[in-house]
Amino acid sequence: MNEIKGELNNNQVTLFLSGHIDSGNAASVEQEVQQIITEDAKTLPVLIDAQDLQYISSAGLRIILRLRKTNANIHIINASPEVYEILDMTGFTQMMQIDKAYRVVSVEGCEVIGQGANGTIYRIDRDNVVKVYNNANALEEIQHEREVARLALVLGIPTAISYDVVRVGDSYGSVFELLDAKSFSKILATQPERMDWCVEEYVDMLKKIHRTLVPKGDLPDIKETALGWARFMQDHLPQEYGQKLLSLVEAVPQDDHMIHGDYHTKNLELTGDEVLLIDMDTLAVGHPVFELASMYNAFIGFSEYDNNTIKEFQGFDLETSKTFWNKVLCAYLNTHDEETIRSIEDKARIVGYTRMIRRSIRRQGLETEDGRAEIKLWTDKLLELLDRTDSLYFDRNGITVEAKVSNLHKIMDFVEGRLQKTSCPMNVIMQINVAVEEIFTNVSSYAYAPGTGNVTVGVYTEDDNSEITIKIIDSGQPYNPLTKEDPDITLPAEDRQIGGLGIYLVKQVMDEVKYEYKEGCNVLELKKYLNEN
Amino acid sequence: MDISKEIIDNKLTVKVSGRLDTTTAPELEASLSEALDGVEALTLDFTDLEYISSAGLRVLLATQKRMNGQGSMRLVGVCDVVMEVLELTGFSSILTIE
Repeated sequence: MNEIKGELNNNQVTLFLSGHIDSGNAASVEQEVQQIITEDAKTLPVLIDAQDLQYISSAGLRIILRLRKTNANIHIINASPEVYEILDMTGFTQMMQIDKAYRVVSVEGCEVIGQGANGTIYRIDRDNVVKVYNNANALEEIQHEREVARLALVLGIPTAISYDVVRVGDSYGSVFELLDAKSFSKILATQPERMDWCVEEYVDMLKKIHRTLVPKGDLPDIKETALGWARFMQDHLPQEYGQKLLSLVEAVPQDDHMIHGDYHTKNLELTGDEVLLIDMDTLAVGHPVFELASMYNAFIGFSEYDNNTIKEFQGFDLETSKTFWNKVLCAYLNTHDEETIRSIEDKARIVGYTRMIRRSIRRQGLETEDGRAEIKLWTDKLLELLDRTDSLYFDRNGITVEAKVSNLHKIMDFVEGRLQKTSCPMNVIMQINVAVEEIFTNVSSYAYAPGTGNVTVGVYTEDDNSEITIKIIDSGQPYNPLTKEDPDITLPAEDRQIGGLGIYLVKQVMDEVKYEYKEGCNVLELKKYLNEN
Repeated sequence: MDISKEIIDNKLTVKVSGRLDTTTAPELEASLSEALDGVEALTLDFTDLEYISSAGLRVLLATQKRMNGQGSMRLVGVCDVVMEVLELTGFSSILTIE
């Protein structure tokens, strides 16, 4: 009997079907089945390997149906597309688990177009790419990545979704349609004149990801992962530094917005004139400092010990990489203020070094000379940063300065810069400026007197530009400026007080003004609606 | 902010350009207080003034009060953005704006 073989082990029956099974041989196949499934094997799960099965008729299917009466748990694997179609048409796919045979794809000689944390992406023909997973047993990872990519797409992030799972050598791959795609790394490496365009598109996508609110529980929280990194470092840093690192990560506030987790230029593809995000398996939620950390590592950190790393990985040199990174930070943080940019970069570097040191140690870095040298380099930098950093938190929509009148121009430049990027009309920009100046001047003069302290001004716009919200936060003495009595503006000049106009003006030019004292801070929120009149 | 002054007899014209805010208002105040002695007609030329905040308004009010005692004061060339602030604060009715 050629059409069937069987074996019994580990409390499971495996049946290998092959060739054609139809009314001509069904009876003898069934006899064979009965011989394989002895009395004691009844009720055991049955795995049917259909790898060599070319055709099965209804007579053959009836054997499986009868088998199901004694052995209810039947799982068919490696069904060819033809056999799968028969099983699907006859409703078998709804009765039992049936897995299709994986198409076999070779990537020999194919161009590598992307490189992710857990796999490599090859172009297999003009329209298709395959991501081959490093892990030989990657089916679960593939499933995870498909699910998060689908989630991202539904939430409005342009990404490619895999349409097939294939066998590649000893591993598995996910196949995507990616027409004529070119990674941003390749564009930067071959068309340096497009640098600014790349920065703009790259930052637009980054902002889009970070604006995306993810339903609770749909994605892992990167902060939990980062706490794991920080705990790992306890054995490798002087005690007080280890403690500080851990408390810095613990203090990062919960954030339910999306982060990509591995956002470098190989993972952004230009196809036609559409920009697509790929390699979605690291998708998570959390504060953007964790995103900037992995970006810093990709563009600079990993190349700090061996400057050629970047070229090998991205195809462009360290100079290009540094220029790109700085332009990206400028655009992402909405500022050209060097001090602000470097202070936020420092926060990202703390998380970045932590991650790289841990990675190197886990890859037996301490056992090689090069490994020890890079671990020492990163550790020295990390310790130096820990010495002068008190928080990993930042708000890219805000600017923090010392509350003193001479910093007014910094605040005004920031606010005006942000507003000019919206559709906000010039006269409204001026009104908002007047309001911000009044509050900032008040805080600078009174909040911390006679000492000093910081003030943060944030500018938040809605996607549709329907409203603008300004938040001014200080941690000085609690004071609600809105309790101040309005001046009588109908009095003649002689009777009017010099001063006292500031808060009144704020209330006049803004549509909504709210004050609250929260977590030791004065928070003043000013709103302006744009779509009215 | 830039300030330029021109005096003919007892008539003073002060042209203020740029931004009149918390950081620049003290400069205008100082500049006016030393120039106003004996002035009977003050003209503030705001043609190139782009922005005014309450710190600027304070200077205007103080100057208006002083000029009430020694002559007259008028504002010329006020742009829309600045005019809006003057109107919202009732200044448009206590100052002479041409």
